[in-house]
Amino acid sequence: MSVGLLEGYTPPAGTYDELLCGTASGAAAPEASARPDYDRIVELIAGCSAAEIERAHVRGSEALRRQGVTFGVYADARGTEKIFPFCPVPRLVSASDFAHMERGLEQRLRALSAFLDDVYGEQRIFTSGVVPAELVLGAKHYMPKLRGIKPAGGVRIHIAGIDLVRAGDGSLRVLEDNLRTPSGVSYVLVNRALTKRTLPALYEEARIRRVDHYPAKLAETLRSVSPVAPEDTTAVVLTPGQYNSAYFEHGFLALRMGMELAHPADLFVDGDIAYVRTTRGPRRVHVIYRRIDDAYLDPEAFDPDSMLGVRGLARAYAAGNVTLANALGNGVADDKAIYAFVPDIIRYYLGEEVVLPQVETYVCLRDDDRRYVLENLESLVVKAVDEAGGYGMLLGPQSTAAQRDEFRRRIEAEPRKYIAQPLVELSTCPTWDPATQRLAPRRVDLRPYVLTGRDGPWVLPGGLTRVALVEGSYVVNSSQGGGSKDTWVERS
Amino acid sequence: MISRVADGCFWLGRYLERAESTARLLATTRALALDGELSGMQAWSAVLGVAGEQPFFVARRGKAAQADGELVQHTMTWDRKASTCIACSVAAARENGRSVVEVLSGDVWESVNELYLWLSSEAAEREFVDSRDAFYRRVRDSVQLSLGLMRSTMLQDEPLDYAWLGLLLERASQTARILDVHHHAFSHMPAEQYARETGVWTSLLYAVSGYESYLRAHAGFVEADSVARFLVLDERFPRSVRYSVRAALDRVRSLRPRGQPDLPGAEAEARLAALDEWVCSLDALSPADVHDVLTRVVDETSEVCEAISRELLGYGEQAQPPGTPSSAPPAPTQTSSQSQSQSSQP
Repeated sequence: MSVGLLEGYTPPAGTYDELLCGTASGAAAPEASARPDYDRIVELIAGCSAAEIERAHVRGSEALRRQGVTFGVYADARGTEKIFPFCPVPRLVSASDFAHMERGLEQRLRALSAFLDDVYGEQRIFTSGVVPAELVLGAKHYMPKLRGIKPAGGVRIHIAGIDLVRAGDGSLRVLEDNLRTPSGVSYVLVNRALTKRTLPALYEEARIRRVDHYPAKLAETLRSVSPVAPEDTTAVVLTPGQYNSAYFEHGFLALRMGMELAHPADLFVDGDIAYVRTTRGPRRVHVIYRRIDDAYLDPEAFDPDSMLGVRGLARAYAAGNVTLANALGNGVADDKAIYAFVPDIIRYYLGEEVVLPQVETYVCLRDDDRRYVLENLESLVVKAVDEAGGYGMLLGPQSTAAQRDEFRRRIEAEPRKYIAQPLVELSTCPTWDPATQRLAPRRVDLRPYVLTGRDGPWVLPGGLTRVALVEGSYVVNSSQGGGSKDTWVERS
Repeated sequence: MISRVADGCFWLGRYLERAESTARLLATTRALALDGELSGMQAWSAVLGVAGEQPFFVARRGKAAQADGELVQHTMTWDRKASTCIACSVAAARENGRSVVEVLSGDVWESVNELYLWLSSEAAEREFVDSRDAFYRRVRDSVQLSLGLMRSTMLQDEPLDYAWLGLLLERASQTARILDVHHHAFSHMPAEQYARETGVWTSLLYAVSGYESYLRAHAGFVEADSVARFLVLDERFPRSVRYSVRAALDRVRSLRPRGQPDLPGAEAEARLAALDEWVCSLDALSPADVHDVLTRVVDETSEVCEAISRELLGYGEQAQPPGTPSSAPPAPTQTSSQSQSQSSQP
């Protein structure tokens, strides 16, 4: 292939690159060649000029700012609204990789749904010994009050975002489940719109599956689980408000689903029925796509001190008069300690072999695991089970002795709260580096989105590729210097 | 629609109108002051008076500073403590727009956001210094672009009705204020200074974008009483008090279709209808009455806004859901837009 824009592109040793092979040893660029699945598109990317990519980057960033696609908003102060940086060079997913992912994600969702039904129902799994009861019942997000309550519509995980990474051996692995209020899907759609505007020729040549039907699918999913007929359903999106960092996405989805965007104060519950306050008086609401955590949803049920929330909403939910998407109490299933048991959970409920592997995990609650973790802190990644966004984490290989001592103390004090995993050499993807005006290898993950309505799971053919923009960094979170890429799933 | 969202639309319309109106008033006053026939004090204190910023400005800068055109312009453009300044109005329009982005068309939201982003940029500060007229022009053009996009890209239903209702009430009140303050300042000038008087009334017409319309309606003869009559009573001029009040009433009626008297908003409609009827009944307007008439317009407009807030925008007790006579739901908690609405003009 012609080297072009990829001249000098060298992924770090031991790392899998999404687009190029032959450089795993860190060998010089002339040996690099496109992975067979992608040779056509890589050729096209390599043929772009630096000026073209830079223009796409600048125009894309301007468009994000103009559209108000920002996070971390504090009104009336210049420069506090940040865009989630956009890299115009796409991440590719071959049709066969996607088919594999799709099967694995559907399986995982079916198993996790069965697990939640069981945990809030008969709790059969404890008698089987597959998951220790103390681990589940001691999870921060387990809600004993919900036991015996079946959500209207029967679905619990309407929207899931499952984080995948590709390890050094090229295998796609599940890194984390997000089963409460996963965010980021608006970037999938926005990034796609930007690609089409900034690199139309490349996109057209590439033959990529569409993603823009996601809002319609989501609306259909939400209506399918309504306590009344889908066509008689009033569904709303519930946001904590304008100062939430994902507010843009809440408005974006409401607009594209033709639904109203409610704040907690716009809703109230009377006689176990939920209403929205309108200019023509109260109107009943049947489905709430809520982007507020359980803890802040209903001060009556969860946190009496909370100023947020809708008083009585949990009662309306328990009575089956309103569907909450996602359901209450899902946090017990995406707890990072429970994660370690998901392969067993899949085998237990489905009797199937696990399609998508995950990352080896040490649960500090187990004596053997904890001993191993404490002896190998410098080579492991330690995570607090109930934190997200890249916080509460120790990256062993990049840590100082003082940081390791701190985590040693924390783990010994609260072993339930920590898990550890080997550092995954996240795969790299050619990424535009505006400082050097070149493509550079940067580490990526992938968050596909799975919708589950009455008819079972559906995987969006695309997803959010987050990229660690800092050279050598493994942290892709938007709060910590990450950016995003359009994710291209090839048509088969 | 959700009451809070209606509130956001209402204030989006008001703040956009206010931003444009302030930009226009500053631009025309600047042109008027350049003629040098009025004292700086006469020209610029009127601007502060219209905006209701006189007490703030005088307390901060002293009485004499009202003659300083540069200072007044700077304050009324940038000073975040002067709540009616252009930067504040645009920021508030944008915050309200952002809070109702799901009912706006993408084009409308982007145009409002772009104005805000530009106004927050160094480029805008430079333009203000280097090319003042172009600066004011850009503010006005941007607002007009947003309003045009609203009309041409949004569904003609509730959100648009609320935005326009806010805009029209703001406009009625702005026109009344501008006329009142200038009428007071200019009508006591000695009669022999005819040229000067023509200049100031021409400027006033420019300040409400009514110059060409007035000339057409009055065959080119500019004179105080007929300008006042035109701005209050002309039913063809879209910024006259009469036109704005009638158009606002039409919007309220479209929100409360005939035959559904139980819909909220009865008091707002009744008050507005009474105001409309009263304005229509003023077939003549003697110079001595101008101030009283305009004061009543401003007061009544503000009463109508209060009624709208209470009945339609969620600031009052709301009716119970059908068939549930139990305890009243809690009133909506304070929202950001509520505090914005309290920062309305005095």
